[in-house]
Amino acid sequence: MELEQLLDFKWSIMTPEFIILGVATLLSILDLFMPKSMDRKILGWIGVAGIAAATVSLAGFIDEPVTSILFDTFRLDSFAKAFKFILLIGSLFVLLLAISFEKKDGLAEFAGEFYYLFLTALLGAMFMASSGDLITLFIGLELLTISSWVLVGVTKRNKKSNESAMKYVINGGISTAITLFGLSYIYGLTGTTNIKDMSGTLMTMGGSQNQLYLLAIAFFMTLVGLSFKLATAPFHMWAPDVYEGAPTPVTAFLSIVSKTAGFVIIVRIFVSIFGSVPATGAQDALPMLLHLQDYIGFLAGATMIIGNVIALRQRNIKRMFAYSSIAHAGYILVAFTSMSYFTFDAIWFYLLAYLFMNVGAFAIIQLVGAKAGSDDISAYAGLYRRAPILAVTFAVLILSLAGIPGTAGFIGKLNIFMGAFATEPAHYVLASILIATSVVSYFYYFGIMTQMFFRPAADDSKFNIPVALLVVLIGSVVGTIALGILPNIAFDFLHDNFMQFKDFLQ
Amino acid sequence: MSGVPASAFLSLALILFCIGLYGALTKRNTVIVLVSIELMLNAVNINLVTFSKYGMMPNITGQVFALFAMSVAAAEAAVGLAILFALYRNKKSVNIDEMDAMKN
Repeated sequence: MELEQLLDFKWSIMTPEFIILGVATLLSILDLFMPKSMDRKILGWIGVAGIAAATVSLAGFIDEPVTSILFDTFRLDSFAKAFKFILLIGSLFVLLLAISFEKKDGLAEFAGEFYYLFLTALLGAMFMASSGDLITLFIGLELLTISSWVLVGVTKRNKKSNESAMKYVINGGISTAITLFGLSYIYGLTGTTNIKDMSGTLMTMGGSQNQLYLLAIAFFMTLVGLSFKLATAPFHMWAPDVYEGAPTPVTAFLSIVSKTAGFVIIVRIFVSIFGSVPATGAQDALPMLLHLQDYIGFLAGATMIIGNVIALRQRNIKRMFAYSSIAHAGYILVAFTSMSYFTFDAIWFYLLAYLFMNVGAFAIIQLVGAKAGSDDISAYAGLYRRAPILAVTFAVLILSLAGIPGTAGFIGKLNIFMGAFATEPAHYVLASILIATSVVSYFYYFGIMTQMFFRPAADDSKFNIPVALLVVLIGSVVGTIALGILPNIAFDFLHDNFMQFKDFLQ
Repeated sequence: MSGVPASAFLSLALILFCIGLYGALTKRNTVIVLVSIELMLNAVNINLVTFSKYGMMPNITGQVFALFAMSVAAAEAAVGLAILFALYRNKKSVNIDEMDAMKN
């Protein structure tokens, strides 16, 4: 490649990524040269500033038409922009949680790493959101995954943390290998790793029976591999252990940013590659994605049922939220299965709503957990007497997670529900499972509320809320209620700026 | 080389992948599990290189992908072993059966 050509690329569209990369590098250097005794919190605040700067620079590209650089490996389309906003806002909140996290179990030594590994993981997720090539998609995925492995095990004197990190490594490694095996078959059939070229080749291929078999194998292997990342049943077994053992900010990161990234990659690969392959030899046949969508629907149904039912018997609140996050992944998969006109909007809105309600809930879990020294539900007994505002905040977030009208969670579920009926044939079974399991989820969500409002408190000590945590709590409650009462803020933003993601395949 | 059909390489990759998956799911020693995961990743590399030579449209991209996959596999192994070290220091065991601190 000539130097001229290299300089000709429109590098400016990568500004948000460059900012994150620069801040992560800066933090690692500062961490190296700072005296051992100095408090590392300042590094966390620099990270927060970096993410805010990246968000602002991303907002500057909002009117930019689809641009791709580096031979179409990096593309900035409306899909990438919309989901990068979620990733950035989610990481911003998570980093604020990390700043106010009590540094114990050997974490104080690695406080610097604790901050910048969030940034490298975010960088990986952002690259996934705007990659137009399997290689960059894979590298972004691995940057995210490997950084989160280290983050899960960062409290290295804590046995639970070690153990959950090890389980995460083993499950993550297997899922990576399965995904890659599926992707290698797609490469073999198309001879390219560029997603756009792939869909072009596959569309015109016609395809003999053998090729279609291979493609179907690739479809299932990729689906299984990515299901591990999303923690959908029956590939969810790692999630409860990892969520329980990881430090709370990392748990929040996994359930918000990592899950969003998982949906980004699954939409990118499946809609653009398998959405354009005719399922049989005939040119006018249904796309493979729609032909095989019953299997994704099965995953969605199983995930909702298993997640919500097993959550009923959890006593540890982090485990309960792990199962609840499994169930929420199932709800979003319903939107993905129905593949209606609203699918992208519904997924985006639900992930945004889930970000707000979940990050606030984890802020309170972190606060109460640090005070009580355990994550057992009994630690929430009498929270209303001890800290009324905190208890009401938690109640609002839980109501939203349960999907009560007036909150963001309700609007998100309503969208998915409507989307399931907007297609032909309508997905009655999935829609009814969605409703039924939502009702089941009331039991465990309201179990926490019973503890908070109707049980006597074990002790009357008050909470002092750190500033960073206060910002997260206010942000999440405002976001949850605003999106619940005026969801049009988000939808207008989506429609005005991203035009229904029409440029996804251009 | 030219006498060996592409399907032989693909079968080799598939068999290696299955051995790796079997090992990763059944072995009790964490080190062996990590080795099995490497086996699965290397099966993918064989696939990619085979397709880049004998695929429908042979080109160099498959080998580039294989190089990236190798470097990522190395990073994965490094982090995996480091976490195993931390675990071993606390528990004095690398046996998977003993990783049962969290149960409901």
